[in-house]
Amino acid sequence: MKRRDFFKTLTSAVAVGAALPVMSFAAETKKHAGPNAFSYEQALEAITGGKEPKKSSRAHLKVPEIAENGAVVPVTIEVDSPMTADDYVKAIHIFATKNNNVRCIDAHLTPANGKAMLATRIKLGGTQEVAALVELSNGEFLVAAQSVKVTIGGCG
Amino acid sequence: MKTLVSITLSAAILTSALIAGEQFAMSDKDRAMYAELLEANPADIMVAHGEELFEEIGSDAALAKFLDVSEDDLPKYIAGFPRYVEKLKIVSGLGQVIQALQASQGLKPSKLDSHDSADMLAYVKSLANDEKINIDINANSHMKAAYALGKEVFETKRGGRGLACLSCHSTDIVGGVLRTQPLPDLGSVKAAATWPAYRMTKSKMFTLQGRMQQCMHAALLAKIPKGSKEMVALEVYVTTMSQGKTIQIPGLKR
Amino acid sequence: MGKMQSLIKIKPKKFKDGEIVKVNFMVMHPMETGMRKDKKTGKIVPAHYINNIKFEYNGKVITNMTVWESVSANPVFTTYMKINGKGKLIVTFTDNKGGSYEKSKKIKPKG
Repeated sequence: MKRRDFFKTLTSAVAVGAALPVMSFAAETKKHAGPNAFSYEQALEAITGGKEPKKSSRAHLKVPEIAENGAVVPVTIEVDSPMTADDYVKAIHIFATKNNNVRCIDAHLTPANGKAMLATRIKLGGTQEVAALVELSNGEFLVAAQSVKVTIGGCG
Repeated sequence: MKTLVSITLSAAILTSALIAGEQFAMSDKDRAMYAELLEANPADIMVAHGEELFEEIGSDAALAKFLDVSEDDLPKYIAGFPRYVEKLKIVSGLGQVIQALQASQGLKPSKLDSHDSADMLAYVKSLANDEKINIDINANSHMKAAYALGKEVFETKRGGRGLACLSCHSTDIVGGVLRTQPLPDLGSVKAAATWPAYRMTKSKMFTLQGRMQQCMHAALLAKIPKGSKEMVALEVYVTTMSQGKTIQIPGLKR
Repeated sequence: MGKMQSLIKIKPKKFKDGEIVKVNFMVMHPMETGMRKDKKTGKIVPAHYINNIKFEYNGKVITNMTVWESVSANPVFTTYMKINGKGKLIVTFTDNKGGSYEKSKKIKPKG
């Protein structure tokens, strides 16, 4: 292989290769507005019925600041709660605010959980905010959110 | 030509490092979050499946008997693979030993490329969890030859881009960033001690040989077949880089 | 009920009655979003994902989850559970194609 061609191929592969996956996913998202395509605001309203969720230090959202891949992003939510019949976390909802379907999971808890915690792994189509909505037994809603940078790359 | 290729590659990697390296460096806090995922690794299901399949061929007791070791010594013995197996007259990886065990019972050996083979291999290797890798490349002339062949395979430039394993996994280039991923020293990342592993970007578990095949594919090198003399030799060579490291599988990788 | 590879992991392995333990439910599932194109055929791979998981202990529902396609393939779901006597933890899960599956684990607190 001629050295000029080799160098050109390698540099362009590095530059283009890094950009392509993001572009194609974004293009796909715009095309497919399927039955699960909600906006984050619509999804929130559907759950809270218009009630304003409060930002609270009781809700601890743990997601990486930089996710090394978009296929498996760890998400953990822990809420300070006695989890008694009179005072417990009714539900924890996780959202990927820029995914085609922003809803990831809605976990309905009971006092029998003993501890208000939910952890799972989600797919992120690109850099975006991950949000958690917490529903308390007294009707209150708490919210926590954090931006996650999704890196694309690696050698296959 | 060879020098030109290596200079050009280094230049490309350094350029990439300047552009991408700092931006995408994960913090210790982020890395800790990924480390926690090991507690519930999707590959745990594959290991459990491997255990089920292995039970059908007599489980740990049958394997120990086949290899002429006691069940107590089995974990340490597994931690020394690939080995020259007298019964098979070749230097062999765990995958081939499982095939031989199946054949000895009149069963059809699982193809090395199959999920069943990988699942059983993962189960068998998991028996050596917490043991230190103790491969002996001087055990006999066969192991010495395998090590030499493995080193040759690791260092031979081939394929469309004229690359060798060494091109990206040499101590000179280690740490440089290629497409946002730091190039790993296969010893420091304990490659042989942490594969089979679940690859998050592929949603699948791979054995070490399987992962090396994927690496070859990405670098435009013709894939070397699993269980071939060259591939087992390569596994021997790469395993020595993790000598003394503690086996903890299944791993979890990008 | 169909069969699907899954695993229930309880941490710690040994626990007392009344203790709150961590429950990991893991399952092999492609969790296809319905937006991915098959590289070989060029056709869209139809959506195929787990949409509901129910955790029951001795006949009582502990947790009920609605799951969407944004969850990773071969997913893991972690919650906590307060142990109330010995019994059987039954996890029932369904997917959008109408599949219905079950995984159970015997629970025996010590002390």
